[in-house]
Amino acid sequence: MAAAAAQGGRSGGSGGSSGAGGGSSCGTGVGRSGLLDKWKIDDKPVKIDKWDGSAVKNSLDDSAKKVLLEKYKYVENFGLIDGRLTICTISCFFAIVALIWDYMHPFPESKPVLALCVISYFVMMGILTIYTSYKEKSIFLVAHRKDPTGMDPDDIWQLSSSLKRFDDKYTLKLTFISGRTKQQREAEFTKSIAKFFDHSGTLVMDAYEPEISRLHDSLATERKIK
Amino acid sequence: MLSLDFLDDVRRMNKRQLYYQVLNFGMIVSSALMIWKGLMVITGSESPIVVVLSGSMEPAFHRGDLLFLTNRVEDPIRVGEIVVFRIEGREIPIVHRVLKIHEKQNGHIKFLTKGDNNAVDDRGLYKQGQHWLEKKDVVGRARGFYQENRSVENRNYLFLILEL
Repeated sequence: MAAAAAQGGRSGGSGGSSGAGGGSSCGTGVGRSGLLDKWKIDDKPVKIDKWDGSAVKNSLDDSAKKVLLEKYKYVENFGLIDGRLTICTISCFFAIVALIWDYMHPFPESKPVLALCVISYFVMMGILTIYTSYKEKSIFLVAHRKDPTGMDPDDIWQLSSSLKRFDDKYTLKLTFISGRTKQQREAEFTKSIAKFFDHSGTLVMDAYEPEISRLHDSLATERKIK
Repeated sequence: MLSLDFLDDVRRMNKRQLYYQVLNFGMIVSSALMIWKGLMVITGSESPIVVVLSGSMEPAFHRGDLLFLTNRVEDPIRVGEIVVFRIEGREIPIVHRVLKIHEKQNGHIKFLTKGDNNAVDDRGLYKQGQHWLEKKDVVGRARGFYQENRSVENRNYLFLILEL
């Protein structure tokens, strides 16, 4: 399946212009869903600026996520991400309250409310920093494997990665937490990003996907032996 | 059909990532806003940092200098101090020195200002019929200033003098 996707990707570059021409004529007929389909480019091969460290890391992370979710059919758990989004939203909410209150009641009267909002905002910033440093670390995917027999609880797979600034060594760590025994096992690999990208900056899934599968299988087979 | 290659990164994001990008931007704006409001609360002035707009206070302040203000209730205004005030009905605050003060027992004051570089006092600038300024017109008293040196050799020296 991965090989076919890569083949389609390589010929997609030449066929893309004709595909776009065809898309515009049938897009108006299909309506809103057609526009959404054209917007999403999940199937297009990932092409990024190979010198931009954060873009490289993001594309590698996203592809690893895709492999785990699509190939092994795990279900993504958004708990960690939602936590961070909630903290940020609350902080912005304090800022907006301060802004509006100060506009409605000009300065000297709004002093206590402003003081409260400012202090709360910086407290939330502190909480956010603690959350990202200790709870989230560098985990970007938490996926659950539902037990087929229906026995609680689910097994949890966690992906975290790191890529140092101006460095080419990318480390991907896969953590497996068994639902029944609560044991934790991890496996990781460190490779140069040059192994996964071609000279134009396109991510070659052929080279990347086997690495992920190998990590996954090494953790999965250990479980079977126990 | 336009090739929207530069939007590829955005298209690849799911809803959560898009929302996080929006939040990121909002947090940057909020941080700046909160620092400003925090300064307002600490100094007690509604505009804790102002820019000198005219040359009426030369040679002390030049156009483009930054002034740090405080407006605490327990610090009384005295003659010779530099205050930033707003005249009723005008938006732009003015930076001048206090010339005369009338003070009552209960602490209520009326004062007159003049720019160091001006020939006359500010009565001509005040509202029609107004001869004195009051505490409510004051934005704050200058506590420190920040000046870029206009050097002939085109080097910038930054002077920051804080009188606490």
